[in-house]
Amino acid sequence: MKTILEVQNLCKNYEDTKVLNNINFKVDEGEFIAIMGQSGSGKSTLLYSISGMDRPTKGNVLLSGKDISNLEDEKMAEVRLNKMGFIFQNSHLLKNLSIRDNIVLPGFKSAKLLRDEINQHADKLMEKTGITSVATHDIKKVSGGQLQRAAICRALVNQPDILFGDEPTGSLNSSTTKEVMDIINAINREGTTVMIVTHDVKVATRAGRVIFLLDGNIHDELLLGKYNEDENKSSSREKRLFEWLEKQGF
Amino acid sequence: MNWLIVKNDLKRNKVINLALVLFMMLSTGLAALSMLIAVQTFTSISELYKTAQPPHFLQMHKGEINQEEIDKFMSDYKGITDWQTITMVNIYGNSLTVIGNEKTYDLSDSRLDIGLVKQNEAKDLLLNSTHEKVTLHKGEIGIPVLLKDRYNMKIGDHIILADNEIKRDFVIKEFILDSQMNSPLVSSTRILLSDEDFAMLQGKFGEKEYLIEAYFTDSKEASDFQTAYENAGLPQNGQAVTYTMIFLLSAITDIITVFVMLLVSVLLIFVSFISVKYTIMAALEEDIAEIGTMKAIGIPFGDIRELYLNKYRVLAVVGVIAGYLLALLISGLFIKQINATFGEMRLTPLALILSLVISFLVYLLINNYCKRILKKIKKVTVVDALVSGKGFDKANGGIKDGLYKSKKLSVNWLIGIREVFYKFKNWTIVFAIVLITTLMVLVPANLMNTFEAPEFITYMGSSLEDILIEVEEGENLETSYVKVKEVLENDNSIENYFEYRRVRVKTTDSENQLMNLNIDCGENAGNDLKYLSGKAPEEESEIVISYLNANEIGKEVGETMVLFFDDKEQEFTISGIYQDVTSGGYTAKSKYIFSDIDAGKYTFSVNLNDNVDEEQKAEEWSELLGAGITVDPMEEFINQTLGGVVNQLKTVVFGIILIGASLVILFTILFLKLRIAKDLSEIAVLKAIGFSEHDIKQQYMIKIGFVSITGILVGIILTDFLGDRLVNVALSISGLGIKKVELIANPVIQYIVFPLFLLMLILFVTWFVMRTIKKYNIVSIINE
Repeated sequence: MKTILEVQNLCKNYEDTKVLNNINFKVDEGEFIAIMGQSGSGKSTLLYSISGMDRPTKGNVLLSGKDISNLEDEKMAEVRLNKMGFIFQNSHLLKNLSIRDNIVLPGFKSAKLLRDEINQHADKLMEKTGITSVATHDIKKVSGGQLQRAAICRALVNQPDILFGDEPTGSLNSSTTKEVMDIINAINREGTTVMIVTHDVKVATRAGRVIFLLDGNIHDELLLGKYNEDENKSSSREKRLFEWLEKQGF
Repeated sequence: MNWLIVKNDLKRNKVINLALVLFMMLSTGLAALSMLIAVQTFTSISELYKTAQPPHFLQMHKGEINQEEIDKFMSDYKGITDWQTITMVNIYGNSLTVIGNEKTYDLSDSRLDIGLVKQNEAKDLLLNSTHEKVTLHKGEIGIPVLLKDRYNMKIGDHIILADNEIKRDFVIKEFILDSQMNSPLVSSTRILLSDEDFAMLQGKFGEKEYLIEAYFTDSKEASDFQTAYENAGLPQNGQAVTYTMIFLLSAITDIITVFVMLLVSVLLIFVSFISVKYTIMAALEEDIAEIGTMKAIGIPFGDIRELYLNKYRVLAVVGVIAGYLLALLISGLFIKQINATFGEMRLTPLALILSLVISFLVYLLINNYCKRILKKIKKVTVVDALVSGKGFDKANGGIKDGLYKSKKLSVNWLIGIREVFYKFKNWTIVFAIVLITTLMVLVPANLMNTFEAPEFITYMGSSLEDILIEVEEGENLETSYVKVKEVLENDNSIENYFEYRRVRVKTTDSENQLMNLNIDCGENAGNDLKYLSGKAPEEESEIVISYLNANEIGKEVGETMVLFFDDKEQEFTISGIYQDVTSGGYTAKSKYIFSDIDAGKYTFSVNLNDNVDEEQKAEEWSELLGAGITVDPMEEFINQTLGGVVNQLKTVVFGIILIGASLVILFTILFLKLRIAKDLSEIAVLKAIGFSEHDIKQQYMIKIGFVSITGILVGIILTDFLGDRLVNVALSISGLGIKKVELIANPVIQYIVFPLFLLMLILFVTWFVMRTIKKYNIVSIINE
């Protein structure tokens, strides 16, 4: 497998506090990684430092072999626009735009495709995530689950190399969480690399590899293998993960 | 009262609070300044008049007089307290050569009629700057302030008075204040000589003109007296002026300045209101949770309001006091001008008190307005504040779907334009400020341009021609008339010319009393004037009358009026009413020639061929025609007549442009600071999904640019629409012979330079302020 992301000696300090300490790992194309850890272990900071939303204090981040850790604002914005997708705990859609307009916005900005093609792609994504019926709606008039699906569509509209998620189901109930995670798994199966931060074990079982952070260091990793719902292996995956997490002191 | 909260809040929002204080300071400052100038002007004029005692009625006369006849009429007229006849020796500017320290020059370019006089005994005195009667010794001369300002003369400069036979050297001893001739709108000015020098020169030099002056127990008697005087056939070969007109013409420059400042001040008070409302609403929205909590735990509305009100009271007190002090500081500039024209005078207690009162009124207005806005706290429920998240926002209106339909427009433009179109409410405040600034700058600028424009002559009762020739000499009137005709007929640089003869007839006023009416008649009479109503006369049976005459006579367009002349009466139809400031504003024009009556004056308006220099031609004719005939190039005539008003307006307009620019800069900073604070999470999202800081900056520049363009456009339309009306209201209050002025805009300034300047300034400030988004961390904002 080809390496899509490589993190080398990544450190992040906030004033005198060391949040990330010499992090090193690689992510292969098509992988689904979950980052777990206690509160304050640095999981979100790691995600934001990798995605360029926050600048690492030291170290390098290579995306498809290119170092993106020291790019200027303009170049970094381009990378975020064309190579990365991002889902937050809250959907963070723009409130003056409809669901559909929110989704096509990064596509129109990127201009990788013609606008008609972007619209068609957005339609497909909305169909896949089940929000076609609310496409023209005001974001204040749809449910939390629908908003999060719209956020996923927005993150995918530019067909990114990697999809980041910071607690993407953190504000959803369990049934909606399942629906959203099914969508993310489906996307992953189609080839998009996914890296999410979560403290929810059920969500983490959907990943192929789990990285456990402790005090800003990678404490351990667990390989769960590809998630396949049809095989109904989720309960055994969950058990393995639980046991492993217990060992980590989670 | 929780001063700690107020103190902390003042510290926290330094830039915003500073901007608010500045707006309040500027609005109070201008209101107080206009009050200071108004009161100081009127008090200064009153003080000057107390000592100088200008006449209640003045008749100028060129030619011989019979003093006994005048004395008899005056002593018989009821209500008259004093009268006197002053002899003035009129000379030409080129007879006076000034030898200053730096240069030697003559006054040949002055369009004013210069008269030499001696000091009067008790009334109509010529005073020095401290209001003392000026007494000169042989060889000394007193120069009017009007000439001093124009030529920058100094005490001690020598003045050579020279004619063919006589040459005398004088030293400037004093600059004199002339209570009745201190306005450039009056066409004459007086130079003071010692009694000895005057006696020596009288009869040997220049031409005599008499000033026949009368004083009454009540100055309002003057207009009735004027009719009686003229009917008595007493000397009247020259202009007659009443006290009210003397006062008005003296104060005109300052009246216009005060009007402009008051207008700007009112607009600035609106700006303060808008800014206060915007910041209060921003603060309330920011504190919605605290307000909800306070309400939930039972703190009464009054107490919560007081908490906010105190802060704005502190800001208003600081702003108003600073504004008042600023007004006192700047007033020096204007008081200097008032003092130069009307005599040294410290700021009067009345001016200080009234400007303080107006400042206090501004404070009360702001305080009350804050109270009104803060009532919103009463309306918001605990649920709105804490649970539903609705806050102070009323139903926000649905969003419009459709960005996805766009085929070409770049995303930054799409976001910018859609926001402006669908969420204009968020930007109304910028729109309002830009509109107000546009009005604030363009109305005074257009007013200044109007006074400067050659077309202004049409408000002065004359059509717009290149050169104006006036023949007023009593005895030699007809000879001079023939002389002018000869010159004009034989000059091939003339495209065409029109002649008018002035005759005096009688008619009845609105109370059916006989009154005199001066009519300029000629085949072109009344053409190319600005008419308030009706049009120029077409038939010989038609007449047009000035606005002030129409009021006096009490008739309107379409009505008929009877004229009595040459022992007969004849009916004329009023075809139009026009505006005039000449001859006290009381004139009429007709195509009927009144050939049976002797003319009192001849006027020629001449159009030259395109390539002929007006100034040069006027000078040539002036030399050719000689004494008793004035030749004025129209543009130069207006420059000299209205130069004072224009100069003062220039200072004011420059000040207003500075205020306007600072206002726009400060307001854009204030607005964007608050807007960014509100939009921070959206900005963070945009950055997160791949928009660069440059993109976001561009979006805000598009938004603010669009709103500003709309504000500027509406401002320009309103300037065209409202500007005239505002000026006209002020003019009708002023009592001048003008009621309606169409402001003449300089199209390059109004439609290109100013809009571009304003737009560029706003965009530059936006670009500058938007650089601050760099400092915001996406992660911390998104995770808030």
